[in-house]
Amino acid sequence: MDAVSGPDRARFERHLAGCAECAREIASLREATARLATAAAVAPPPALKARVVAAAAATRQRPPAEPEAAAGGRQAHGWRAHGRLASGRQARGWPGRGRLALAAGAVAAAAVAAVAVLFGLSNGSMHDQLSRAQASSQQIAAVLTARDATMMTGAVKGGGTVTIVMSHARRELVFTAADLHPLPASRGYELWLIGPAGDRAVVMLPPVRHGMTGPVIAAGLRPGDHLALTAGPPGGAARPGPMMLDVVL
Amino acid sequence: MARGDPDAFDAVYDLLAPSVFGIVRRVVRDPAQSEEVTQEVLLEVWRDAARFDPGRGSATAWVMMLAHRRAIDRVRSVQKQSERERRTAAADIPFDEVAEAVESSLERERVRRCLRSLTDLQRESVTLAYYGGYTYGQVASLLGVPAGTIKTRMRDALIRLRDCLGVAS
Repeated sequence: MDAVSGPDRARFERHLAGCAECAREIASLREATARLATAAAVAPPPALKARVVAAAAATRQRPPAEPEAAAGGRQAHGWRAHGRLASGRQARGWPGRGRLALAAGAVAAAAVAAVAVLFGLSNGSMHDQLSRAQASSQQIAAVLTARDATMMTGAVKGGGTVTIVMSHARRELVFTAADLHPLPASRGYELWLIGPAGDRAVVMLPPVRHGMTGPVIAAGLRPGDHLALTAGPPGGAARPGPMMLDVVL
Repeated sequence: MARGDPDAFDAVYDLLAPSVFGIVRRVVRDPAQSEEVTQEVLLEVWRDAARFDPGRGSATAWVMMLAHRRAIDRVRSVQKQSERERRTAAADIPFDEVAEAVESSLERERVRRCLRSLTDLQRESVTLAYYGGYTYGQVASLLGVPAGTIKTRMRDALIRLRDCLGVAS
């Protein structure tokens, strides 16, 4: 509750660091405390939204904390790195100035989708999609901050645009789509890698939320691959159907 | 950039901003400063989302803790310059005087019901500390109770709230 300040807080945190049971209790109480904030919810002034969205577009996201950062003194607080204390880690956390050949907008595009995933918006639920979101947002951040990350966008036959951020070095790409034409329940969008190494089904795209689909990761890219989007049975097709998008990687 | 991308952050904003702004305003009081702090918090969430560690709690709890902490930081930094006038004002705000503009929700009703199930001292301690942004020591002197008693009551209150709300431990 942040009702402890100064030396008391430091002593408290030292104690917590060595007491797993206390840390568990604190975590459960913190969840309860968070609900107090929900109870105080009020609509912010409408103008605030435009300001925050614009500021976010101009703010670079940080990649996941490195392991040594995770072992730092902030652990007792429950989260690895946040707030002002985290700023000292920024230099270490980022792969280096100038390494991002990617337009800031492209990073924001895919990363914004990662934030949406973190809060469970990708499946329309208020509940946090914790472990899955964590895994995918870390993998996504790794692609976005790769030395050789490049972005492309393309139009989908039948409507919609896709954004792809790809790292050849990691042989991975992050795929997001916007405004895809809705399909009947009997069909779903499926992502394929097609190339000399064979045709591989990557993933069925998750349902559209707020006009967005994804982000999803495609790993194991091979030279000469194309990325294709098809519409097929919701359980996945044996072979790629007619392509609604075909991108040479 | 694909047109849908800003929409995704829109959705995150819509989900979080009312709770963040609500708690920040309860603590900070001043509307303009509350907006600044809300913006600070949402940008911090945006910037550090990949560093969030789900092993330690839910994303919502992380954001609300951040919001509350930033609000407290703001109040305490202002406080250093001048003894705050809001002391009595904040103490007078009943816990259920909230949510003017946001439509009523089941979740909020549930939290209020759980708050009502606390003893007066528990509820006042929690309300003053969380919504009022006071330290244990300040709560103790406001309520005229020893600080040790406040700590115990506050912990009891949070345990009761947790159990009442059915929060997994």
